[in-house]
Amino acid sequence: MKSSEKLMFILLVFAALLIFSPAGTAHAEGDPDFDMPLGALPPPPYPVDNPTLKKNVWPSPMGPKQELGYLTFFDPKLSGDQGPSACSDCHNPLQGWGTNEAHSKGYPGTAHWRNSQTIVNNAYLQKLFWGGSSPSLEAQAPSAARAARAGNLERDQGEARLRLAPEYVKRFNDVYGDRWPILQNAWRAIASFERYMSQIDTPFDKYMKGDKKAMSKAAIRGMAIFKGKANCFECHNGPMFTDEKFYNLGVKRGEGLDGGGDPEDAMPLVQINLRWEIYGNKGNEEWIFRSFKDDAGMWFRDKQLSSRGKFRTAPLRFTRFTAPYMHHGQLDSLMEVIEFYNRGGDENEFTKPLTTPLGEKYAGTKSSIMKKLNLTDEEKKDLEQFLLALSADPMVLPTPKLPQLQRMADWMPKK
Amino acid sequence: MKAKTKKVVYKSFLSIVAVFVAAFMLTQTVQAANIGPLPKIKINAKKAELGRKLFFDTKLSGDALLACSSCHDHKLGFTTRKPLSDAYVSMLHFRNAPTLINTAYKGGKSVLRNKRIPWHWDGRIGTNLNDMTRDALVTSETMNMDMRIMQERLRQFPSYVIEFNDAFGAKEPSNGLVRKAIPEFLKTLTSKNVPFDQGKLNLTAKAGLELFLGKAGCIRCHNGAMFTDGKPHNTGVPENPEVFKDPVRHITLISLLGFAQGLENIMNLRRDPGYMTVSHDAKDMGKFSTPTLRELKYTAPYMHNGLMASLDEVIDFYNKGGGPDRPGLKDSAMVPLRLTDTEKAELKEFLLALSGDDIGAAVKYAKPDMDYMPLPNWVNNDYTITNYRK
Repeated sequence: MKSSEKLMFILLVFAALLIFSPAGTAHAEGDPDFDMPLGALPPPPYPVDNPTLKKNVWPSPMGPKQELGYLTFFDPKLSGDQGPSACSDCHNPLQGWGTNEAHSKGYPGTAHWRNSQTIVNNAYLQKLFWGGSSPSLEAQAPSAARAARAGNLERDQGEARLRLAPEYVKRFNDVYGDRWPILQNAWRAIASFERYMSQIDTPFDKYMKGDKKAMSKAAIRGMAIFKGKANCFECHNGPMFTDEKFYNLGVKRGEGLDGGGDPEDAMPLVQINLRWEIYGNKGNEEWIFRSFKDDAGMWFRDKQLSSRGKFRTAPLRFTRFTAPYMHHGQLDSLMEVIEFYNRGGDENEFTKPLTTPLGEKYAGTKSSIMKKLNLTDEEKKDLEQFLLALSADPMVLPTPKLPQLQRMADWMPKK
Repeated sequence: MKAKTKKVVYKSFLSIVAVFVAAFMLTQTVQAANIGPLPKIKINAKKAELGRKLFFDTKLSGDALLACSSCHDHKLGFTTRKPLSDAYVSMLHFRNAPTLINTAYKGGKSVLRNKRIPWHWDGRIGTNLNDMTRDALVTSETMNMDMRIMQERLRQFPSYVIEFNDAFGAKEPSNGLVRKAIPEFLKTLTSKNVPFDQGKLNLTAKAGLELFLGKAGCIRCHNGAMFTDGKPHNTGVPENPEVFKDPVRHITLISLLGFAQGLENIMNLRRDPGYMTVSHDAKDMGKFSTPTLRELKYTAPYMHNGLMASLDEVIDFYNKGGGPDRPGLKDSAMVPLRLTDTEKAELKEFLLALSGDDIGAAVKYAKPDMDYMPLPNWVNNDYTITNYRK
């Protein structure tokens, strides 16, 4: 290649980069970015490596794969001490498939540091957990079951326990063809069960599909405020009402950490848990371990100080049943949430500028989208009605009859 | 080279080899005969005291319900006194819990420099007490502890912050220091006032010692100051049927040996493979590490699966040449001993003379403080030692 050709080649590459780089990647938040239109939810998508039938969606009957996931989701065999740490214990069907406490329960002897999120409609998300750390339901299930503060399961034990329950041996063989249950397939089954738990018949969905009477007039007015004056739509967009990007709204530190003003009210186990989380992220400098006194959110994932205190935009579906709200359950009701946005959010330790021990300065991370909204009381009520129209029934399921362990000699021929 | 020179070289080579062989045999004999008292271990009292507190502290297990003492009970000879040990909450183990008395003499760097006595019945850990402590803390069958949570739990207690500072000069508790404090406590659990060590064998026990060294042949494997060669042997101890009868115990075996340690074909296994799990060599099926014979008085039942309730049963077992196993697996030295009833009694008397004072009786229980307090000022609080000592 001649030198002139080389130059041309380099220029072409630069030009291509300029043309094809999508607008908005340079800036992680705010305009200009693509806001997906609101719309009715289609049936849940599924990955090609864990297929399921389209008809197996709530409230239709489950298929064998969903049933297996239903069983394992409720089974304490997939937790360390087989006690109150099955998936269903912190994703409780009677509490909106989450918990109604600010901080999720956590494994015995620990307390969880964050609010338990619902599993309903998670099929549509590409980033799971508050910090967006899991890319898929299949990846999320073992993260939750194995974390020392949640399920504290050792995978060897989980797999061995499944293998000595003949009903599981049969079901894993039927669904996945396993000679002996493989734990990875338990996570797949749980993911399938979670996909089954999708709600696509809310008043909002019916309204969007043409049933103009499905939502009340107040809710319809609320939708206009949602998209207009309140500007919720800027981040809560698309059929799932989330752009799955990360923002610091200035939500105050969870009361579990500092007692909300009265130190006596703080929860020691939550304090322990936050310190563990910061310490447990390998390679953190000590000054961060010593100085961060709040949940740094997305920072745990990318370790960029510009990400501290940012959390993934929460989806708004099913929120009728999932109080309290925000990552530490700081806000008790939807109206409190509306008031929070109306005043332009609050301040927390990450909204303040930060200077590192080396003298590098980082700006506070509060989103510039957060502004006072000046909503009237009527507008707030309309907005609340719209949010309530994003949920249908509470999707309650009973605890299934769980497979029991049996000594092997009773059901396996000796070899 | 001339033939004569060649012969000389050959001869001198032979003599050198002979000297080496003789020296080797001599050390072996010395070692075998060296069944004297245990050497003293230096102990740092402050660290050991902190270790004692940690030993009884349930904050050191995953769901904060178990302590080291749960399966190594100081009132029960630092074991469970059950044939098969308990395990982590909701689980049961498939092996007997070994005593912790004299455990400080095990490992590759113990005070017994000519011996390498590994821990666990299959001998899978042979390095040092620090590693062994970590293994017991983090293994999901035992304490199932994420040690990073453990260290933050301890840091929540001002009393621990002060005690770790006293013992180690550290600014706060840490998981590394826990694994130094507990071994220091274990070093205090050593035999005291053992009749054999004091040379106070009665006539029966002396006769037993003769049998031990001679006719019964125990010395072949039970040698050295700890009465163990630190090696695995298959003596044909039968399986404990409970292991495969109870799916909870069977699960522990599958998860620990099959998945955690990679033993092949685990789902078809109906026996405890012992050392084979470590070596992955089929010849090692059913081999278990020679246990120490010290403090047997406090540590019944015996064998890796607790199948023998008394020393009489153990002696009878060896007298008939051990149990059955496939040829090639069982140790060829296991042959009938033809001991008379008197000889058996003498041997037992000697074995009992290897036990001294009840070590556990002198150990004070430390009730764990489970009353977590919130830090007084979460935002600005420095909860390290500087907060408590200006």
